Amino acid sequence: MSGFILQRLLQAIVIMAVMSVIVFAGVYAIGNPMELLIPPEATQDVRERTIQRFGLDKPLVEQYFLFVKNLLQGDLGRSYIYNEPVLKLIGSRLPATIELVTTAIVGALLLGVPLGIYAGYRPDSPVSRAIMSLSILGFSVPTFWVGLILILTFAVELGWLPASGRGDTVEVFGVGWSFLTLNGWSHLALPATNLALFTFAMMVRLARAGTREVMLTDTVKFARAAGISERVILTRHVLKLISIPIVTVFGLELATTMAFAVVTETIFAWPGVGKLIIDSINNLDRPVMVAYLILTAGAFVTINLVVDIVYALLDPRLRKGHAR
Amino acid sequence: MKRMAASLALAAALGLSGTLSGTGAIAQELTIGVRGGPESMDPHYSALGPQADAAKNIFDPLVWTGDDLQLEPGLALSWEPLDDDTWEFKLREGVKFHDGSDFTAEDVKFSIERIPNVTGPTTTEIYVRRVADVEIIDDYTMHIHTDGPAATLPYDFVRLFIVSSEAAKDHSTAETSAEGFNSGKAAVGTGPFKLVSWEPKGDLVLERFDDYWRGPAPWAKVTRKEISDDASRLAALKAGDIDVMNYVSSADYLALASDPDIETFIGDSVYVMNLQLDQRDETPKVRAKGGGKLDKNPFQDPRVREAIDLAIDRDTMVEIVLEGLGTPANQMMPDGFFGSSKKIPAPQYDPEKARQLLADAGYPDGFEMDLYCTSDRLPGDGAICEGLGQMFSQVGIDTNVNAISKSVYFPAQARKEYSAFMNGWGTLTGEASYTLGSLAHSPNEEVKMGAFNRIEYHNPDVDKLMQAGAKELDADKRRAYFEEAMEKTMADRAYISIVVLQTVWAGNKDKVVVMPRADEETLAYFIQPAKK
Repeated sequence: MSGFILQRLLQAIVIMAVMSVIVFAGVYAIGNPMELLIPPEATQDVRERTIQRFGLDKPLVEQYFLFVKNLLQGDLGRSYIYNEPVLKLIGSRLPATIELVTTAIVGALLLGVPLGIYAGYRPDSPVSRAIMSLSILGFSVPTFWVGLILILTFAVELGWLPASGRGDTVEVFGVGWSFLTLNGWSHLALPATNLALFTFAMMVRLARAGTREVMLTDTVKFARAAGISERVILTRHVLKLISIPIVTVFGLELATTMAFAVVTETIFAWPGVGKLIIDSINNLDRPVMVAYLILTAGAFVTINLVVDIVYALLDPRLRKGHAR
Repeated sequence: MKRMAASLALAAALGLSGTLSGTGAIAQELTIGVRGGPESMDPHYSALGPQADAAKNIFDPLVWTGDDLQLEPGLALSWEPLDDDTWEFKLREGVKFHDGSDFTAEDVKFSIERIPNVTGPTTTEIYVRRVADVEIIDDYTMHIHTDGPAATLPYDFVRLFIVSSEAAKDHSTAETSAEGFNSGKAAVGTGPFKLVSWEPKGDLVLERFDDYWRGPAPWAKVTRKEISDDASRLAALKAGDIDVMNYVSSADYLALASDPDIETFIGDSVYVMNLQLDQRDETPKVRAKGGGKLDKNPFQDPRVREAIDLAIDRDTMVEIVLEGLGTPANQMMPDGFFGSSKKIPAPQYDPEKARQLLADAGYPDGFEMDLYCTSDRLPGDGAICEGLGQMFSQVGIDTNVNAISKSVYFPAQARKEYSAFMNGWGTLTGEASYTLGSLAHSPNEEVKMGAFNRIEYHNPDVDKLMQAGAKELDADKRRAYFEEAMEKTMADRAYISIVVLQTVWAGNKDKVVVMPRADEETLAYFIQPAKK
């Protein structure tokens, strides 16, 4: 087990190093941010002074090594736009995104898997058909459209829920969380639903497909023959057998949703990192872009590592195979 | 919503209209939804529009500009040139900072001198680029020495915000300014509101400053929320989460006309869309039909440039593409700005003559070109670009339209990779040296002009006029120089102005009246409570 984890850790470090080069070169290729940032009236000497102050007159390789040197000291630089340390900037907005994404994903999992199992268990019932139609909707209708419709319905027409923002927060460990207040939940409800829809649809379909397959296997037949109740078969055996693909997708979804909550955050003016990163790209705020991409890569690598470990726990064959 | 309506009704019943009269001002809260927020609470960090928009609630600029961007007394009461390189500024007496201390010449000097130490890449050094030295004569008089004759110095100061030299003393380096100002410690100004709280991209919360020199604001508490998505901002307005929003899109503007609860407010902006035609001998993105090479750059031929101008149907552009939210432009600045000329003829639309001119110039079958524009910078920029492409194709110039993100467009434009390109230019200072000096003067580092002339346009007469104007301290003579330069530039048609954009605000009809400003700022102090 420990050898397996060590091997994965080494892979992760290599991936991170390669990522940092790709990210840095890619961001550099977009263009010189100073062309966008320095105002038109700036005279040549003002321009040169500004470019120098931000170290952008140095060659790419030198800029990269400077970046790595600072990175290893835990310094990701300061935002060009906000003049705040990038880590502080991202850190101040990360809780909002984590909260939104976790609520959405966990909600999608808790609702999607049981519904999917039901749809796989009774594939021909009208309820199952309704569930499957809903999941098709979740796949095919674009997020931003659903978001706007949710706002129009629940905020503008019905006036039940607020249209934007995060609402009241409660400080825990120096970080504000809105899921601890009722007002916070009212703000969280619409964006979380919006964000959860796609993952929900995915969970339903995975659970359904898995269940249909497993129901035909000998395991289930023998269990039935042994007189075990259907409920126990579903919760104890089927759920366990279909969980590997679900865990895989759950891990991937957690990371992608975290990285791409942008659309939902923009529509609901949710003060998370997604909005920050989109604006940073528009403004070519290099330090934030680079730091965010590196952190996202880090998150993907970490989540995949965790997923691998969970596999090993779930599936004894994997565990034993790597223990050798 | 109900509570607000009730308090409004009560105010009306008591005959309080919530004016600037101070004692009568009722405790009201105003929530504004803005597309872009500030970058820092340090007003000297960035020269960007949204930054000034937010900062003006807390700080005052040295020189004020009215709704039409012409100069008015602000913290400075008057200004006049004493000799070629000295301006005398008289300051307003009796102005208080939020902490109760007096505003004096020392604060102005301090503000000017801290700028190079704290500014970011969107550098505010442009406001003080001509200042060589600041001399305090007495508490309310100062002499500003410049590096040569600086005729437009007062225009440079319209976004020069004055901070308290006492409060900002320890927060005037690149490392300490964000911390000091964003926490509110150093963000002490003379403006109509005091800073309560702000964080990057978060809400800006303000409370009324009762001793404001213009009189207290009509709002006790103001919250500016940053909602970047246009549709979401509108939904928030309809849902009652916000009372006022800026930048209503043209499509939404039409829909709002039928909404009984919402009022729209339209104003001319400073932005003019300019088509720019590369004047170099070799230009990269133009070719003969079918892809062959042309023997010379067709844009160097005045007949081709005139044909392109005549091919543009500006009325259709305004009515169809912009839903009426614009006016046809014949020059690079809106009417009434310092240096815009009344002598320039109205633009014509004549596709027949355009085809004829192209034939005369040796292109009877036209040619092919790539047109580049921004698509995400100003309202309608991408759509105007597509409209232009169709209009050019109709006279025989096959046009590939590339409406792209500003973050790709501007760096490539600076590398001179384009032949025909269009973007908006805002005359933010309200006078011509800002616009013609950057665009129409040939690139020249020595006289510090032509920095944004990306088409290598060169007209010696225009250069001469702009240089003379920049040194001319007599306002009438300077205006004449600028007007002539504008006439000559537009006659050459290397820059073809298309439309002046308009900006739309929307607000809760029962609560607010918004005064449109040409610089598109949404200043809480000047948003009036609606009179019942």
